[in-house]
Amino acid sequence: MSILELKNVTKQFGGLTAVGNVDFVVEKDSIFGLIGPNGAGKTTIFNLITGIYKVTEGEILFEGKEINSLEPYQVAEMGITRTFQNIRLFKKLTTYENILTACHYNARYTILDSLVRSKRFRVEEKGLLDQAGELMDIMGLGDRKDVVAGNLPYGLQRRLEIARALALKPKLLLLDEPAAGMNPDETIRLMELIKEIRSRFNLTVLVIEHHMDLIMGICEKIVVLNFGRKLAEGTAQDVQANPKVIEAYLGEEEVVVC
Amino acid sequence: MDWFYIKGILILSGINLMAVLGLSLLTGFTGLFSFGHAGFMAIGAYVTAMMTIKFHLPFIPSLLIGAMGAALASLFIGRLTLNLKGDYFCIATLGFGEAIRLILDNVQYFGGARGWPGIPMYTNLTNVVILDIIGIAILVNLIRSRHGRNMKAIREEEMASQTIGINVFRYKMIALAISAAFAGVAGGMLGHYLGFLQPKMFQLIKSTELTIIVIFGGLGSISGSVIGALVLTSLPELLRTFAKWRLVVYGVAVVFIMITRPQGLMGGYEITAGNIKKLISRLASFGRPRQQTIGGDKE
Amino acid sequence: MSAFFQQLINGLSIGSVYALMAVGYSLVYSIMNFSNFAHGGVIMIGAYIGFFSMTAFKLPFTAAFCFAAFGAGILAVAIERIAYSPLRKRNAPFLYFIISAMGVSIFLENIIIASPIGPTFRTYPRVFSAAPFNIGGVNIGRLDVTMFLISAISLAVLVFIIEKTRTGMGIRASAYSLRASALMGVNTDRIILIVFGMGGFLAGIAGILFGMKYTVYPQIGNITIKSFIAAVFGGLGSLPGAVIGSVLLGIIETFTSGYLSSQFRDLIAFVLLIFILVVRPKGLMGKITEDKA
Repeated sequence: MSILELKNVTKQFGGLTAVGNVDFVVEKDSIFGLIGPNGAGKTTIFNLITGIYKVTEGEILFEGKEINSLEPYQVAEMGITRTFQNIRLFKKLTTYENILTACHYNARYTILDSLVRSKRFRVEEKGLLDQAGELMDIMGLGDRKDVVAGNLPYGLQRRLEIARALALKPKLLLLDEPAAGMNPDETIRLMELIKEIRSRFNLTVLVIEHHMDLIMGICEKIVVLNFGRKLAEGTAQDVQANPKVIEAYLGEEEVVVC
Repeated sequence: MDWFYIKGILILSGINLMAVLGLSLLTGFTGLFSFGHAGFMAIGAYVTAMMTIKFHLPFIPSLLIGAMGAALASLFIGRLTLNLKGDYFCIATLGFGEAIRLILDNVQYFGGARGWPGIPMYTNLTNVVILDIIGIAILVNLIRSRHGRNMKAIREEEMASQTIGINVFRYKMIALAISAAFAGVAGGMLGHYLGFLQPKMFQLIKSTELTIIVIFGGLGSISGSVIGALVLTSLPELLRTFAKWRLVVYGVAVVFIMITRPQGLMGGYEITAGNIKKLISRLASFGRPRQQTIGGDKE
Repeated sequence: MSAFFQQLINGLSIGSVYALMAVGYSLVYSIMNFSNFAHGGVIMIGAYIGFFSMTAFKLPFTAAFCFAAFGAGILAVAIERIAYSPLRKRNAPFLYFIISAMGVSIFLENIIIASPIGPTFRTYPRVFSAAPFNIGGVNIGRLDVTMFLISAISLAVLVFIIEKTRTGMGIRASAYSLRASALMGVNTDRIILIVFGMGGFLAGIAGILFGMKYTVYPQIGNITIKSFIAAVFGGLGSLPGAVIGSVLLGIIETFTSGYLSSQFRDLIAFVLLIFILVVRPKGLMGKITEDKA
């Protein structure tokens, strides 16, 4: 069963085509990889899915419903959330507050409830606090509760950003280069983490990555982009064997190495 | 210095505090910068005075109507500018503040530029203190809820806020409307304290002074705003000779705070029972820190 | 009919000086993405430099003009160094820039009030004869013509610098993306200084022209509100937009005060602002870009 479907999606900036006629289908509960050289349009696709950009042409379907005209917060309400390539935490809030803020979605009390501290407020707020605490522990951030997010080590900032995204109880999680700047050891732990949260939270993961090991190791299906267009699609083996991919992507890296 | 004089300063501080609390929510907690709060104060002041004088309503209901007037005006500005990227909101509030003053200058019904005398002096220290306490309670309860947290998130990182499902535009509007309502109440209290209103009282410099107080107290700190309002309103009153240089010093101080200590006096911290306890225990252990850690190690 | 042309010329000349201010503001906005609310202070200081050059130092108009322009340019650069550059270095949020700018503006206005110069209104000595030109039955003030010509020439020079020189290319690139330009080897620190310098230079010219047209006083910088509104009118961050917006605003204002009432002259700018925000928020020439994630 598919959870996300891109149909003929095109995004133009002025005359420049950042993404052209891309279509792919993400199966529910899978880990799906999006790779390609710099400037291939990967992040642009994330921005289109999350409603930060509006598509020029084409359709994006989530659970069969069109979402390309929704505002980013509405996309989040549908059950899609993401992390950013250049980490975007609430830097001056603590680790706990970062997660607690994102939990807001699971409470429904009004401003008036909070002003008079109604019963509804107290019950729901307690629920949020518990949920945030639980997430902190699951993500191994429990001992950094009161650390200001901006002061966390880099690896933990990435982890916190994922934790914050999970607070929404999403159905689809988009990870934009989660292993950027990590050493091989950290990358392996991140792979384990992604697999674990997938099964634990019962969600689908769409990941952009440059670390080939990570992509090849965890993704059931991969789409390769180049110059905004889909170059290849398939399993890790399919993609690795595809001559077009080797030429455009892996080949390029070989040249750099020489 | 007699009690009457001190009382006057306290009342003025309390009135300023009300406006500062509102601005604190907008600038300190939501990260929006307004040049138009003097305009919202003016609307509150004139609407409240109209309610008590022309419609003979009691003071408190009149204040509430004044607050609503200010909030409605703010929603109008917000509707037009808060969903645009860039400094549109800033410039629109700047223009708005000036426009309100120009309009009031020409409305003869309210006395025009010459002013509007004979406003009943309902404001006294008791109701100022009570209203301020209610104002602080509202703000504290709002900040310590999911709604307040959403506003802080917007201040920190707008795009991430959206992707965790926060309707940024809506929360900015809410923060703006509440903020303007506070300014409106402050305006209403001011008119009924002085017994006189004049458009000149609500010049651009009034808006900037309110912002300075918020910055001085520390962006994102309610206790900082309270201390800031009390100190910065009374200090120049007490040091009359200093008056001429006051704004010069303010200007330098604002730049200095921004480039050295942008967190202001309180640095985003609050004075709460818990924080005071923590501070005291830290101070108490200050004399013998080494001993304690050694003891801890042995265990 | 001649009254109509007089109003038009009057509006053009006021509008062209608005353009000088709006362009300086827009230049900074397009590169640093924040509203430099200290711009009014720079204009005011320019007006005072021009005034005292001509009165206390008895210098000719041309010398006073140069002093005002260069003095204001240097001041703008100094403001950047003192009040903005430390914020830039540590990537502070834009809110801090705006607040810092506000601090500078309060300081400049009140240092003049508190100093021996004081809050009094001062009138420039007469440079141009009051006798108007008469062209085909239309009387045109010499000062108005001068204001228009000086503004137009200054803007033309600015356009030349931005469009035809290497520095100008750096400015255009930085306006597109400051970070990308830095990565491509553009010395953005230098570009920012140049932009502030040019903005200040134009502000100094605007200051001396406004000083001659009206009077000099510490709050004369508040007139920049008009240029901010003109910049929104034309499209925030767009230079041609700022010029067109300013000229239109100048003309609309003069006609309002000529045909309706001078009371409404200052209000019309705000009405226009609301109108443009309702009808076309991106302004006449502007483009609202999508945020990059």
